Amino acid sequence: MKSGFSMISAKGLYFSYTGTSPYILSGMDFDIFAGEYISVVGDNGSGKTTLMRLILKMIKPSSGLIVSSAKRTGYVPQRNNGADSGFPITVYEMLNAYRKLLNVKDKDAVSENLSLVGMHGFENALTKNLSGGQRQKTLIARALMGEPDLLVLDEPSTGIDATSRRDIYRILKALNQTKGMTIISVEHNLMAAISNSTRIYHLAGGHGHICTPEQYVAEYMKRPEGFGDA
Amino acid sequence: MLRYEFMRNAIVVSVLISVLAPSIGIFLVLRRFSMIGDTLAHASLAGVTLSLITHQNPVIGAFVFTAICGGFIELLRTRFRKNADLILPIILALSVGIAITIMSSGRLRVNADSFLFGSILTVTRTDMVLVAVLSVISVLTVICLYHRLIYIAYDEEAAAIAGVRVRMINYVFMVLAAAAVSVTIRIVGVLVISAMITLPVATALQFEGGFKITLILSVIFSIIYIMTGLLLSYYLAVAPGGFTALVSVAGIILVIAGKKIHAHTIRATQRFG
Repeated sequence: MKSGFSMISAKGLYFSYTGTSPYILSGMDFDIFAGEYISVVGDNGSGKTTLMRLILKMIKPSSGLIVSSAKRTGYVPQRNNGADSGFPITVYEMLNAYRKLLNVKDKDAVSENLSLVGMHGFENALTKNLSGGQRQKTLIARALMGEPDLLVLDEPSTGIDATSRRDIYRILKALNQTKGMTIISVEHNLMAAISNSTRIYHLAGGHGHICTPEQYVAEYMKRPEGFGDA
Repeated sequence: MLRYEFMRNAIVVSVLISVLAPSIGIFLVLRRFSMIGDTLAHASLAGVTLSLITHQNPVIGAFVFTAICGGFIELLRTRFRKNADLILPIILALSVGIAITIMSSGRLRVNADSFLFGSILTVTRTDMVLVAVLSVISVLTVICLYHRLIYIAYDEEAAAIAGVRVRMINYVFMVLAAAAVSVTIRIVGVLVISAMITLPVATALQFEGGFKITLILSVIFSIIYIMTGLLLSYYLAVAPGGFTALVSVAGIILVIAGKKIHAHTIRATQRFG
């Protein structure tokens, strides 16, 4: 699905933490279009998280360009670090503080976003007392604050149960299909990548290869290891 | 008791530090920065001795030197992330080195013990005004930066992505911590400062509330601990720092014990009732 304008565009993108060779990402060129659901897949150390951090402008390329035309980007980290550390904060406080940071005037945004991810009624719960799946849903609700046009997720289904996993991908698919939100999800879950994405971006050896889920399945089936533990 | 000016000054200062110390302390505790509080307390002693030897006001001296050390800690912490655990002992050694050298030189015309153990008698009107100014400015800054400070403590990465200038606010926070330490030094003394910044928060955390409730409870416990320590030290004619620490430890033990008894009672009721 390449219906929209280019949301993320990379030209001759190189990155290494030292700024010199060997590069984690080596001369990448790609475009991600508005309205797409892209899953970024690859082995550990292939540069998935590095690419995500470049898209989020958390780090700068060693050379080349990566341009985002997103008006607002929402980010869902792999883990809720604050909740993991036992931080005393309610779901409402966590989301409302973020609303204030983004200067979102609509006070109802907190309850609306919680309803959107099926967490209505959890406003007064402490984030540290939530299950892994519930924590992930509140992080999605947080990322939706300010109605972003681009949502970036870092392995959204890591460490959560099958039911919550299904819920999360249902929410993401709905955001992509009904709201037209562009989604870029770093995935270790290949089945989720194949089932939900419009295109899959496979990283290996510092290079990227973008294809449709059908092409990805066909190519993967040729490999002796198949889908591994996916 | 209130007919003495020194006691009135001490009570006003105690109320101010009871509000300021936990307001900063809650962020130190939740960011696992309690050791920074301890290091800044030692830096404040160096600031006090430097100001005494140069005939400056010790509260201002403590604040300036502690703020410089706080800024330096933050600078080194971000530049040398891999060796971050070594930064605090270096600053602590520098501060203690300065303080001990000056105190043992025999050049100080005043007794610096009151800054180690805290004192009611030595709180002057000038100190009171300085503490009031620093406290009000600091609390107003915390109110202005409230949501940003919460988010940096909760999830620094998410705060940065939301556009918060994390590094700048971390420097401001170090100055706030320096202010909290330097205003607390007069009443409770260097040796007890970090306990007074962290123990009311640790007590409040036992109630398992949200952030706002934990902050309010921290201030309430801080007022109870510091005022009880102050009054007991007045009637028993001892340094307030020691009693404030003892009251704080007793307070947190009582709360933890009460929590255990409450949980046990609920379990017993469910089992038999």
